[in-house]
Amino acid sequence: MRYMLDPESRQAPSVCATHCPYCSLQCGMHLHSIDSVTWTVGSREFPTNRGGLCQKGWSAAELLSHPDRLTAPLLRERRSEPLRRATWEEALERVRASIESTQQRHGRDAVGVFGGGSLTNEKAYLLGKFARVALRTSQIDYNGRFCMSSAAAANLKAFGIDRGLPFPLSDIPHAQTVLLVGSNLSETMPPVMQYFQEQKARGGALIVVDPRATATSATATLHLQITPGTDAALANGLLYIAMKESYLDPDFIAQRTQDFELARRTASSYWPARVERITGISERELQRAGKLLGEARTAMILTSRGPEQQSNGVQNVLAFINLALALGKAGKPYCGYGCITGQGNGQGGREHGQKADQLPGYRRLDHPPDRAHIAQVWGIDESDLPTPGHSAYEMLDSMGTEGGVRALLVFGSNMAISAPRAGHIEERLYALDFLMVSDFFLSETAARADVVLPAAQWAEEEGTMTNLEGRVLLRQKAAEPPIGVRTDLQVLAELAGRLGCGGKFPCEAPAVFEELRRATAGGAADYSGITYERIRREDGVFWPCPSENHGGTPRMFLDRFATPDGRARFHAAEFLPAAEEPDGDYPLYLTTGRIMAQYQSGTQTRRLPSLMQSAPESFVQIHPSMARTYGVTDGEWVRLTTRRGTALVRAKLSAAIRMDTLFVPFHFPGSGRANLLTNPALDPVSKMPEFKVCAVRLDKEQQC
Amino acid sequence: MTENKRKLVVIGNGMAGARTVEEILARGGGSLFDITMFGDEPTGNYNRILLSNVLNGSYREDEIFLNPLEWYRQNGIRLLAGTRAAGILRRARLVYAENGTPEPYDKLIIATGSRPFLPTMEGIKMPDGKFKPGVFVFRTLEDCRGIAAYAQGKKSAAVIGGGLLGLEAARGLQNFGLEVNVVHLGGHLMPQQLDPSAGAILKTSMENLGVKVLLKKNTTAILGQDRVLGLRFSDGHTLECDMVVISAGIKANWEIAAGCGLPIERGILVDDQMRTDDRDIYAVGECAQHRGVTYGLVAPLWEQAKVLADYITERNRHAAYHGSKTATKLKVMGVEVASMGIVEPRDPEDEVVQFCEPKRGTYKKLIIREGRLVGGILLGDISKAAYLMQAFDRNTPLPEERLQLLFDIGDPPKQVTFEEMNAATQICNCNGVSKGTIVACVKNGKRSGKAVMDATRAGMGCGSCKAMVNDIVAWACGGETEEDASVHYYVPGVPLTKTELIRAIQERGLRSVSAVFDYLAGGKEDAASKPGLASLLKTLWHDEYEDELDARFINERIHANIQKDGTFSVVPQIPGGITNPAQLRRIADVAERYHVPLIKLTGGQRIDLLGLRKEDLPNVWRDLDMPSGYAYGKSYRTCKSCVGSDFCRFGLGDSISLALRIEREFQGIDSPHKMKLATAGCPRNCSEAMVKDLGAVAVEGGKWEIYIGGAAGSSVRKGDVLGTVNSENDVLLFMGRFIQYYRENAKYLERTHGFVRRLGIDKIRAVVMEDSEGIAERLDREIASSKAAYKDPWKTAWPEPGENRFSSLLPVLS
Repeated sequence: MRYMLDPESRQAPSVCATHCPYCSLQCGMHLHSIDSVTWTVGSREFPTNRGGLCQKGWSAAELLSHPDRLTAPLLRERRSEPLRRATWEEALERVRASIESTQQRHGRDAVGVFGGGSLTNEKAYLLGKFARVALRTSQIDYNGRFCMSSAAAANLKAFGIDRGLPFPLSDIPHAQTVLLVGSNLSETMPPVMQYFQEQKARGGALIVVDPRATATSATATLHLQITPGTDAALANGLLYIAMKESYLDPDFIAQRTQDFELARRTASSYWPARVERITGISERELQRAGKLLGEARTAMILTSRGPEQQSNGVQNVLAFINLALALGKAGKPYCGYGCITGQGNGQGGREHGQKADQLPGYRRLDHPPDRAHIAQVWGIDESDLPTPGHSAYEMLDSMGTEGGVRALLVFGSNMAISAPRAGHIEERLYALDFLMVSDFFLSETAARADVVLPAAQWAEEEGTMTNLEGRVLLRQKAAEPPIGVRTDLQVLAELAGRLGCGGKFPCEAPAVFEELRRATAGGAADYSGITYERIRREDGVFWPCPSENHGGTPRMFLDRFATPDGRARFHAAEFLPAAEEPDGDYPLYLTTGRIMAQYQSGTQTRRLPSLMQSAPESFVQIHPSMARTYGVTDGEWVRLTTRRGTALVRAKLSAAIRMDTLFVPFHFPGSGRANLLTNPALDPVSKMPEFKVCAVRLDKEQQC
Repeated sequence: MTENKRKLVVIGNGMAGARTVEEILARGGGSLFDITMFGDEPTGNYNRILLSNVLNGSYREDEIFLNPLEWYRQNGIRLLAGTRAAGILRRARLVYAENGTPEPYDKLIIATGSRPFLPTMEGIKMPDGKFKPGVFVFRTLEDCRGIAAYAQGKKSAAVIGGGLLGLEAARGLQNFGLEVNVVHLGGHLMPQQLDPSAGAILKTSMENLGVKVLLKKNTTAILGQDRVLGLRFSDGHTLECDMVVISAGIKANWEIAAGCGLPIERGILVDDQMRTDDRDIYAVGECAQHRGVTYGLVAPLWEQAKVLADYITERNRHAAYHGSKTATKLKVMGVEVASMGIVEPRDPEDEVVQFCEPKRGTYKKLIIREGRLVGGILLGDISKAAYLMQAFDRNTPLPEERLQLLFDIGDPPKQVTFEEMNAATQICNCNGVSKGTIVACVKNGKRSGKAVMDATRAGMGCGSCKAMVNDIVAWACGGETEEDASVHYYVPGVPLTKTELIRAIQERGLRSVSAVFDYLAGGKEDAASKPGLASLLKTLWHDEYEDELDARFINERIHANIQKDGTFSVVPQIPGGITNPAQLRRIADVAERYHVPLIKLTGGQRIDLLGLRKEDLPNVWRDLDMPSGYAYGKSYRTCKSCVGSDFCRFGLGDSISLALRIEREFQGIDSPHKMKLATAGCPRNCSEAMVKDLGAVAVEGGKWEIYIGGAAGSSVRKGDVLGTVNSENDVLLFMGRFIQYYRENAKYLERTHGFVRRLGIDKIRAVVMEDSEGIAERLDREIASSKAAYKDPWKTAWPEPGENRFSSLLPVLS
């Protein structure tokens, strides 16, 4: 599907300072316009990336003029028909009619909204408001649920607030020891490695925990090649060593924390020999890691999706937080626990109300004063606000069922690739009465929709993002969207008008941000002191920032934690085995993750030739010894089977992975989709699915 | 609530009983049951498997408690500590205590554990039924304490039983300084975990470590009337010893179950839900026998506890226990042992993989059935234990190369030349650039590292591969890299060499860093270039230089030296290292007032106050009321001196007086890099003047030798003699002239030793001493003018109101 771009429509300033469209590092970049339809990326000194960019960032501008861009709405009357071009009037009217008829027949909650962690703060905010005010449905959640929800829940429990990193990245070099758990930053967020290199140059130690040897672990002082799904055992084992070797900080524990006894009792059952047997990490390495952490004067513990995307994800993170607290390595300069967020606006996206249980400013939908504040900002009656709805997988699982969601509106998400047990989710998508998707390419999910709306890309509209540090950034507009394309804000305002809520929905980003500032005032994630002008002037502002005189909060917790009594909380964080462990039928572990040249479901990156050349297709990483056992050679097709489904992928032999574990990247579509295999077992608190571990069988595939 | 709860009674408060209750509570059992526990021991539950660590002193008693007494209170559990359950009345559904108190139950869990097995022999007990003094078993914390107390002052001990626990007891006893004999009935040590070959190797290893091992010895009597004196064996031999620890295995405590008619074999018989024959009575742990097996290890017991809890709380009525895989790993007196599953093949199809090196005490044996590990022994070298135990536990398919199971066979790290390196080898991870791409780029005419990086983006992510990219480019060019013009730039952000840059700055009268960027770099500011430009401008313009804070390094911005933890150090000026009581008092006051954690004399003979917080710096300076000692900048730092001619017997010149004059002359003079100076009163060089950036050494005849380009830091170099002069005045003159020449001609961040080496001492001597270029007079004028521009930064650097230079909330510290 190719559409001509109209050169006249794309006049823009010649150089624009903006940010990369991809991950949560949100590297600063310059966009230079070569002619009126072509842009190139230039280096920009910004405090996060200091001028560096990865392969994805350098090629990002190619997306703007990509021939696959959608430039007109698409729709179909019947599922059997192909999508056809339509006018905006036709498409929006169809969406309105479908919403109204669904709600009349099945109730308000039969219409669901699914958002994304790449939407700007303004969009996330307006999407939440749209669901609650225009649709009045409780059913809204987003793909960030699949991202950092376990760390978010653990942060709230332990510290009373959830911000990915409680310190700026520039503090990392000052930590004597950093424990990085389940993270391959060298591939997923390359420019951030500068801070770790600097840390190392200053004599610091880096410990990487990963079932695979990666480009990140290659830079580490110590690599702990953990068995998938055993993170809490490791954390408790390190706490055990800390107790045994008197590495604890009793003054800190006494003055700034509560409930140490819970953590102590739990950890006391994790002596090194037992932890070795569970995690596969030798006692010697455990002792060394314990010593590096215990003897450091400053230390940080950082987690990513590895320990978080598990059915025990919250407990895993809490176990690492216990360790940080017991060592007295939190709430002090150059110390702390942090979660490295994944998606571009993974942080901001979870603060402004597209999460099933939340309202803007990290307010809670089940907390009467929070409801009252938001109802007042939105000019509605508090009793008209819905109650908390279902989490992402639960909502998707209910699609097309009795009492479930019958019509779904999707913004910036591609669940057909990214949801666990994707084959099942695909079936559920087909069972919907109506599916609308707003995207800039025809993603795998959009291809199944009844109505597809062409959306503006990151550089074609203004908006704020909140990066992994809690730094609120401004993406400036570098180009006009192609003719026929609208911004999500415009679409939401327009739809709201058609649903009888005209006037309540501004469609320009600055106006939405002004409203967001008022809505978050006094909340945990308080943005009320932040303005676009300040962001430009100060290279971003760290929330909370309650007034325009307030300098923002780069470092949190230096005086107190955000709990009612100011003390951080320990928890009894037990190791629980993964929901599915290898057995006779499915004898190996499967874990999934990202690779350098692709991003998330690949809707953007799989369209760029330079990136496809680096990473063209799905594969399974397998240890050569294990491959020999199965008679599999490098480059051969193999069939992977779990209790959820089967995927066909090419074997990539590599001694970098544990012998009992297979790794498949999750960016690729079709029969190579990693998520055909993954287990939707949910964490009981965060509702995070278990993407990172399940049991799998491998068979040679003769022909493919 | 309470009236609806059922009564759950647990007999036994050890590892099994307490763990089962924990699992029940974790499943919401607290709201289903009122829980009462009988416990023999007066304490809460401790971790029995760490007992030997208490015995050998590596743990304190309180460190091994899993459930202290307050845990029971907090969870609403009635613990009858020190109360023994005497019997069960099944029909009445009650348990009664030894004192007769009845305890009704709806559900009953028996977790009575096991006790040491005592082989038949004479003289174990005294007539009163207690152990003979010196006889011990090794089972409880109480036993541990008893052994430790009795061992005081004793010479020798015997351990009866060469199993796992017996050897651990032997280790503990040896730690008390006793001579230890292990007496074992069987033909080899640790029969549960080892085969005869491994047992024999372990025996040798133990004996090398000083423990005697007696095999196939059946002890028939413990000798001694009122205390242990020795052992007698069935073969008639005897052994003298002061104490004996019996560790001959365990015996399940099933008596209470047998007493109420529950079926018993070696333990209380249970089904897959841990139920006994009576649906309301469960048994768990070492007292239970499941599918013919009783367990004496902690892992199986925990698995049983989970199943029992799932079932009894109805959390999972399908929960079932299918038996456990047992594995142990321990260190017996420094010998590491790991064992799992069976120790001998049992099936003709079983495959045995073995390695034996008795001399080094190494033995490895694996038993493989249908490609899965069913048993294994590792002795001496257990580096593969973590992997093998997991493969055993999880039934993982094993790699076909069996050798790999026994040893880590990594390829030796190979140095690969660029020639040999595969073209597809990724050099830049961030941007996915391979060696082949770089080489192709060079072939296409990009013949410098920078040009290749610009074209391929290699090195433009995290930057860690830049050095390698440069090397590959050099190799690909066949050594004929086009020199990238930018390597000669004084700073990367302004495309001019130092000479060109100075000319341009002077011609246009550029007095600030931003002006340089505006006029010479097309307005494009480059953060990395700022400190270098600031330094140069200061050299050129002296007090006419327009200072811009953001152009300096953090140290120079805030006139203190940042430390690795982000605090700062402050060094006040103490010329010549000579101070007085008033100064010392002030310094001491400041140190106390601002909680300085460390006061240290520096190598340059100054006093360093370390660990100050940034926000305190201005106040520290005010209270010190001393000039800055310049311990932080790229500038003149200090001039160290020896005691000189006034006091020293060898002194030839007054090094103190010269040092004081030098410090006054050059204080605060900034330069391409730091300059450390010293004066020495004689060539004995006590103040190390010969290895300083500049040094003056007194020689016979009232003369001074001037040294330049010395170094004693990360590089070590003896300085070159610039010349020998006749007076202190001349020292100052030529040092000043050299400093100015260095300031004008060195690259930014080039120390004097690099500068002297680069230009050559002959050239420098000619310019400075002989005025070969006719610039001496100008150099002297410039340095004098710099000297006149000196201002003490601690007096002038007070923050403006609202300025946040000293606020600790700055997001970026350096």
